[in-house]
Amino acid sequence: MNLGSIARALATFLILVLLHYTLRPLLGWRAPMDFLVLALLLSAIRVRPAWGAIIGLLLGIVSDSLTPDALGSGAVAMTVVGYLASWLKAVFFADNIALNAFFFFLGKWVFDVIYFSVEQRLAGVELIQQLLLWSPLSAAATAVAGVLLLFIMKPLLEPARV
Amino acid sequence: MVLAGAALLALVARGLPDNLRDPVASSMRRTFLAPLVMLQERAEASRRSLLLDNARTAIRDSVALRAMTVGALETENDRLRELIGLGSRLKFGFVPAEAIHGRGIRDVTTMTLTAGSNAGVTRLSPVVSPEGVVGMVTTVDPTMSEAMIWTHPDFRVSAMSEDGSAFGIVQAHAASATTGYLMELRGIPFRSQLAPGSQVMSSGLGGVWPRGIPIGTVLSEVSTSEGWARSYLVRPAVSPADVGAVMILRSNRVNQGFETVWSTAAAAEAAAQRIVVAGDSAARSAALAEAAARRAALDTMQRSQGIQVPGGLPPELMPDTMRQAPVAPVLTDSAAAAAARRREAARRDAARRDSIRRDSIQRDTASRPSSPTRGL
Repeated sequence: MNLGSIARALATFLILVLLHYTLRPLLGWRAPMDFLVLALLLSAIRVRPAWGAIIGLLLGIVSDSLTPDALGSGAVAMTVVGYLASWLKAVFFADNIALNAFFFFLGKWVFDVIYFSVEQRLAGVELIQQLLLWSPLSAAATAVAGVLLLFIMKPLLEPARV
Repeated sequence: MVLAGAALLALVARGLPDNLRDPVASSMRRTFLAPLVMLQERAEASRRSLLLDNARTAIRDSVALRAMTVGALETENDRLRELIGLGSRLKFGFVPAEAIHGRGIRDVTTMTLTAGSNAGVTRLSPVVSPEGVVGMVTTVDPTMSEAMIWTHPDFRVSAMSEDGSAFGIVQAHAASATTGYLMELRGIPFRSQLAPGSQVMSSGLGGVWPRGIPIGTVLSEVSTSEGWARSYLVRPAVSPADVGAVMILRSNRVNQGFETVWSTAAAAEAAAQRIVVAGDSAARSAALAEAAARRAALDTMQRSQGIQVPGGLPPELMPDTMRQAPVAPVLTDSAAAAAARRREAARRDAARRDSIRRDSIQRDTASRPSSPTRGL
């Protein structure tokens, strides 16, 4: 990665984090899209798995700071998702929309599964409902938003031409 | 290794006790996460205001919608009250019914009523409203009936003037763009003349319509080719468009007569108007008395304080309206003197005018040349 690529990746990352704290609460959906997971996935595919895990840890701590009761849950989930995303980048990040969408969907769903399991706030039917209904919906919304952003932010996401 | 270390750190954070977890999260929110927290707060506030605005818009729309129907409801309420009043005056022998208007061309002259033979409605039963004549039942079903409105070309009702001095037949006037729905009173004897504004009522002749139901008000005389009778244009008491709830009169009630039913209503209306006028007069008198009392109080205060109003009388000459008894003779004297002065001035003016007129007549006479016919 050269300096230009790093700058573009950083800009994409910041834009997604800003969207997470502006567009997401503005929409207020019951199954919201998760721009932080998108930021983590798009960052993790550009770095080694270890860095993916560290980025995930930091992003998770940041997101958990607004929900002190669940501090650490998001960090655990994002660490695992960041590591896996970086590890699976060769498999998923072909230039295929469906694969990209599935990658985002899977990333968000795995994040939710780990997050709610570690958080231990929900249990029983509520947990099942959350993991099998709301989490997939949220993951689908995230996948759609991710694919749209891939189109919109294509100039920023393409590797630099030498 | 890195994954394990990161996961371990995250799990440690998850396992922090509450007294450590909250300060850590709080310190992050206050420092490097403050801009993001602020952004989220703004976004949530925007969403709340957006939702609130939507709710307000919905409430405003609902209120506007309700306000639009209030006028119609008030009108309907008034009509139903009038109908209840008519029912109480009729006492018995009537069937209340809703008038259902169609949308066809012919339906301006007919209407369907929601009462039929099961309720005692028969063919040729008169249909009335609190204002007066509406029409006549033409077809009767067990639960519904059809009535001919007075606008129908075949509708006729024997009519008379309110004082019973003139009799004729009322029928629909051929509608035009300028006249709208009007009636025509025909066959009035040439010797009888009706003034505009005269009430026209059913005369009871003919057997269908009983006597004493209002039909309308005379607008003007219509010039016709018939030389033996007069025709009048009549403004109907009931507008076909306003007919909603009506009363169908049964034959046993028709035979009893209606002369007191509508006259009672008219008398009640006149009495209500008299009460309103009397109330206005009383209010005016009270206002005048209050103004006089206030003026008297001000006069007294000015006199007691020695204040002179600019352009007004000095305090010592101002009348004390609060103590009228001692001042009254003075006022009377001055008023009498002023009246005497006015009379004297008027007498002098009149005398001067007379003398001037006499002088001018004399001058005219003196200056006029002698006419050749003079002395004939």
